[in-house]
Formats: sequence, C-alpha cells, structure tokens
Amino acid sequence: MWAYVSTLSVPKDGATAEECEDAAVVVPVIASDEPTDGPVSVAVADGASESLLARPWARVLVDSTVEAVRAKPEVLHSEAGFARVVLGAVDDWDVWLAAYVAEREETARPIKWYEQPGLERGAYATLLAFHLTDVGLWHAAALGDSCLFQVRADSMLRAFPVDTAIALGTSPALLNSRNRDDELIASRTGLAGGDYQEGDQFFLGTDALAHWFLTEVEQEDCPWEVLRDLSAAGSAEEFAEWVAAERAGGRMKNDDVTLVHVDLG
Amino acid sequence: MAYSAEISRVNPTCFVFLVDQSASMNDPIGGDSPQRKADVVADAINRLLTELSVKCAKEEGVRDYFHVAVIGYGSTVGSAYAGALAGRDLVPLSEVADNPARVEERVKKVPDGAGGLVETTTRFPVWMDPVANAGTPMGRALQYAESIVSKWLVDHPGCFPPIVLNLTDGEATDGDPDGPASGIRAHASADGAALLFNLHVSAGDAEPVTFPDTDTNLPDAYSKTLFGMSSVLPTDMRSYAATQGFSVSDATRGFVYNADIASIVQFLDIGTRATDLR
Repeated sequence: MWAYVSTLSVPKDGATAEECEDAAVVVPVIASDEPTDGPVSVAVADGASESLLARPWARVLVDSTVEAVRAKPEVLHSEAGFARVVLGAVDDWDVWLAAYVAEREETARPIKWYEQPGLERGAYATLLAFHLTDVGLWHAAALGDSCLFQVRADSMLRAFPVDTAIALGTSPALLNSRNRDDELIASRTGLAGGDYQEGDQFFLGTDALAHWFLTEVEQEDCPWEVLRDLSAAGSAEEFAEWVAAERAGGRMKNDDVTLVHVDLG
Repeated sequence: MAYSAEISRVNPTCFVFLVDQSASMNDPIGGDSPQRKADVVADAINRLLTELSVKCAKEEGVRDYFHVAVIGYGSTVGSAYAGALAGRDLVPLSEVADNPARVEERVKKVPDGAGGLVETTTRFPVWMDPVANAGTPMGRALQYAESIVSKWLVDHPGCFPPIVLNLTDGEATDGDPDGPASGIRAHASADGAALLFNLHVSAGDAEPVTFPDTDTNLPDAYSKTLFGMSSVLPTDMRSYAATQGFSVSDATRGFVYNADIASIVQFLDIGTRATDLR
C-alpha cells in the first residue's frame, strides 16, 4: 500500500515559529509528494502553554516515541507498553535538561527565580503515537487531546481519543517530564487500532485542529476535504492563510496548530 | 460570551492591586497568628506578583500577558513599588519580574517524603514593604484605580476585563467606598465589566472565609461592605475554582476574609494549564 504523508504546522497568532509548542515527527522521512510503501510511524505532541520548556519536551517526546515505535511497534498494543515508551522519553529529557541548565550557566544566563518553580514542576505535553503496518492494520496510543481521525469513503470512521468537540477543554491529561509512575500513565492511556484500505485517510492533529474537525463533522460537513487539499498543495503559507481565516471567523481557537496527513489514496 | 477574551501578549489585560497602608494595619490579624495586618498584605502582594510571574514565565523570560500596578493608600495614594519600579503605576509583567526590590531567602517546610517535614530555603522576591500610618482613603484609592482602568481600556478595548484587587482591613476613613467601587465596575471592555475583588484582613476571630456567595456568615459591617463591593466571579473562573476544591455557586464573589487570595491568579486562563495526571 502506497502512502503519502505530509506535515503542516502554524504557531498561535502573536507567536513566532520558534515559540510553537507543538511537535510532530514522521518516520520514514519523505517529501509530501513522494510515496512510501512500508510502515509509517507518527508521533504528535502538544506542549502546555502554561509550562516552562513545553516546546523542547514536546520535541523530546515525539523523537523518543517514534524511535521506540519504530524499533518495536507492539509497544502500541498495550497501555503498559506505551507507558514504557514515555519513561524512555523521561530518561531522554533528563539528559536534555542537564545540558540545557549547563548551557545557561556557561552563557551567563543562569536560571531566574521565576523559572525555578517551573523547572521543579517539569514540562507538560500531550502525546499521540500512531503506527501503520504493512499488513493492513494500524495502532495508536494517546494521552491527552491530540487526536487521530480515520476517514473512509467520505465519512469519518474513527475519532481517537476524543470524539466530540465539547470534550476538548483547556485541561487535557498531560505527561509531565518528571513523571515516572508507569502505572498511572498506563491507567490514563487510550489505545485504538483497526484495519485500513486503499483510499483511507488518517489525520493527526493537535487540539485546536481537532476541535475544528469535530465541529465540522457534527455540522455534517466534510472537514477532510479542505485538509486533503491543503495537504496535497503542501504549502506552509497556504495552510497558514487557511488557519488565519478560520481563526478570524471564530471557527478555530487561537492555538498552535499541527496536522499530519497520511493519505492512502 | 463575556469574560472569554484571550489573555495574550497581543491582547494583554491589567491588574491593579490596592494596598491599605493605614495606621490600623499595624494591628495583628485575628486568630493565632502574631502577624501584623500590614505584613500579611505585603506578603500577599509579593506572593501575587510571584505567582503571576511564574505563571507567565517561559524560557526566554516572562511574557507580558498582564500589566500590573501596586497602589498603596494611607498617608498618600500612589505607587507602592519599591526599588527600580518606585513611582510607577502600570508596569509590564516582564519588567516587574526582572525588577523586584530584592530577593530574600526564606525558610519553608516541605514534606520529606516519609510523612514528616523538612526545612528548605526558597527565594522570595519583594516588590513592596509593609507600611502602616495615617488614615484609610479607600475611596480615593478606588478612584485612582478607576482612572488607571479607564486609561487602559482606551488602548485595549477588546481585552479581558481589567482586575482590581483591594487588600484592606476595611475601615475606610473617607466615606462609603461603595460608590467609587461601582465606578470601577462601570468600566467595561468589549469582553465585560472590570472586576473588583477584595481581601479583608481583620483582627476579628471569625473563621476565615474564601469566595462566599452570601454575606450571611461574615462577621462585621466592614466585611459585608467589602463583599457587597466585590464582583461575582465570571463563569470560567468559577468553574476552575470548583475544580480546585472551592465550593461555588452562580453568586460566588471574588472576596476572601482572613485567608489566602493568591489562588485567584490561577483562576485566569492564559492557555493550556499545566496539571498533573490524577
């Protein structure tokens, strides 16, 4: 099965691209107009705006997760497997954070008093992991409100882990960069899976996009059409313009927006 | 819906703290605490500014989601900032965070993980020192806050409504404060009327009260007046207060009697909240 994969991201209005706290990674790394015919692994994370270092934590989470999923896709078959993936990311974070604090000291920018409580609390982010096998099946695991939608024959087949717009609030479940409680993480993890067919489309997005998507579905519209077109165009500018128009129209919350589109078309 | 405007760097709002610095603030607060009321409100202000700064801190610095004034009232009415910010009214939060008058080391007790407590030191920034002398021109102070709010709204007509937080023992010496309080609440952005909250520090022995919805259990005329001056908490702030264990209703007001008010900072929504898994 051939798959086209594209990733688009826009920061919150008023923020720079460097301040975007969403992160997404796809393996294998391919251009959006080049197909791949093997397994595809995706991770999406959304750093919580009230936490310090949310952006690098989201980045460490997706990198560590995709590497783990790639090495052993079965980690997405159980809550305990997903929790072990998260604990691996927490280990990676400790290494990252030690280097960060050392770099701040070395460059004469020591941690300020107002950063200390945030550093002690740790950084926070959601995590969604997805794996498309080469035998017609997919698996996903999630903690928080970054969402996956499967579309088949012009209708939404699956929404995961949230399936109504109203359920997307401002206090999603979040992974803390110091959380080593694998039982707690497993207990809050959602799992999903199913089969796929030629023509199916998967959309993975952070909460503002997910809220927009589910609202459109609830109004019996077909949000996948515009997203598929934007994805096919592959233009970051065009995507940013579309997001700006949706925000201006009050149809999309002003938040970082990330979309990963896996098109089996 | 009112009180739903985004609080951001492109659409900031303002916080005006009013601090009673009259002679009666030399008296101790009620209950077992030996603290003077003036010390209690100075600590409250310094904690509020700390909580605001930490809430808005990112790795590149503190973001200017808020502009903050600290106005004292006693022998005069005016800025109560000490140090580099002395004499200024509204100050962007990043400047506030970078310019405490000093940072003290304070000892606090934290859980030791084995059921006991252990002493540790923590950094405590100080922007304002306790002051207690002269009368209580609360009416003038509320009018001063109103002028700050009014000017702010000219430049920020779409902001989350300004918040005025008055910390006092309630004994105004320049007339009934209810009129000037109404003056503040009469100003509005496109998102709703300005909010006035009150912290009443009292020498009375009555039980502390946090965010009540009636004045029935309040102990004296001062606390009832301050309750009556206080705005009803907007829906989202009330909902968040409920998730934090506060008992709330549609009539819950931004009023606290002899208790901690710093939690009010956490009721404000500046984006996805950092909450632990439970």
